[in-house]
Amino acid sequence: METLGLKEYLKGEGATLVGVGDVTRALTEEIAHLNRGIAIAVNRSLNRTTVDLLSRLQDLTEGWLRERGFRALAIPADSDRVTGTFISRLYKLFSHKVAATCSGLGWVGKNGLVINHDYGSKLTWATVLTDAPLEVDRPSTVSRCGDCNLCVKHCPSGAIKGQLWSSGEPLKEMVAYEKCRSLKKDRLLLNGKPNCGLCITICPYSRNDRRKVETCVVCVGS
Amino acid sequence: MVDETRKNEVLEKLRNGVIQYDEDACREGAQEAVDLGMDANEAIFEGLVAGMEEVGRLFEAQEYFVPEILMCADALYAGLDILKPHCKQMDLGVKGSVVIGTVEGDVHDIGKNLVKMMFDVAGFTVYDLGRDVPLDKFVEEQLKTDSDLVCLSAMMTTSMVGMPTVIEKIKEKNPECLIMIGGAPTSKELADKWGADGYAQDASNALKEAIKMVAFLRKLREEKLKK
Repeated sequence: METLGLKEYLKGEGATLVGVGDVTRALTEEIAHLNRGIAIAVNRSLNRTTVDLLSRLQDLTEGWLRERGFRALAIPADSDRVTGTFISRLYKLFSHKVAATCSGLGWVGKNGLVINHDYGSKLTWATVLTDAPLEVDRPSTVSRCGDCNLCVKHCPSGAIKGQLWSSGEPLKEMVAYEKCRSLKKDRLLLNGKPNCGLCITICPYSRNDRRKVETCVVCVGS
Repeated sequence: MVDETRKNEVLEKLRNGVIQYDEDACREGAQEAVDLGMDANEAIFEGLVAGMEEVGRLFEAQEYFVPEILMCADALYAGLDILKPHCKQMDLGVKGSVVIGTVEGDVHDIGKNLVKMMFDVAGFTVYDLGRDVPLDKFVEEQLKTDSDLVCLSAMMTTSMVGMPTVIEKIKEKNPECLIMIGGAPTSKELADKWGADGYAQDASNALKEAIKMVAFLRKLREEKLKK
């Protein structure tokens, strides 16, 4: 299939990264037939304009697929905030992290977020599931966080456990989310902005630090 | 008098809007129907419901799966929201009101919501108790609203066991009330054993049953208009 064509098309329309993954292992019965996950990322934080851009990219993807006679189900970037429709009930059956890692665009970092080698966690993700036989990318199977523990050390709520992710243990809990959530609550009361985002900004990959993790061990030690 | 050709165009738009799960088309079609001064009931039944009937057929033919059904349902509601305020009370010989909910211990409510939608469409007054509803709440609500129907839904065996208690309590106080149960673990045998009057296996079957019911109402309506 013209997989490359689709990727180039979406990048031309504003996508930063596009990947295709075989997501079979993560699908429940309702969506078992949609075994290709198209991961779309833009290097912007999650806000209204980002969501709108991703939603437009998803519309284009759906159109592209349906024109060719395939099914498509778009999982929006802010899927956890979309409620009240029938289809939104299916969103929680699928995590963007699955599509992102299965398409090799990143691994799940110690901070519990997808980390891409070039952009770190400063990406917002959306997924389109489809039954089109697109060529799949090579999946990420292991963490590349190495010995770096910057996010573990700097997390103000002490929520990050310092675990190394691997695709073989998809259910491993990387972050004590209740700790992170309670901090978010406090922050929301304080200044109306719940997210502290330190685990994103501190990450050498997010900072586009050329030393990356391989050498970063030194700076952690100092 | 509404122009026939224009009217048929609008109905076609509503029908296709539902089938192609195009919310915008349904909204547009519904607004056009209102602007044209069309009978809102006709727009719902000959447009939206006709579309949903086709969706039911496509599902049976395995051309549509669960995601498509849900998207179609969203499209139908987009149109229904606009048309509903313009509906006249239909006189079809059924005074419809229904209490519906997913029983205590169960949070699965996709099937329940699909069935609720078809009751909405049919012009029933729906008292939706939501999900994880305490058993006594069903009894209370039925007595309070004097509804003709109570629909109980459950997807797990563990929560399903609460159903006979509800049925018994309601029937004891109000034997006229019809009770339907539905959800994956239920069966025709269980419905009979517990004294329920109707049964639907799962979301898609419940939808099919509800479509049949509404299709029947639609026929009644046509016959009434001919007279």
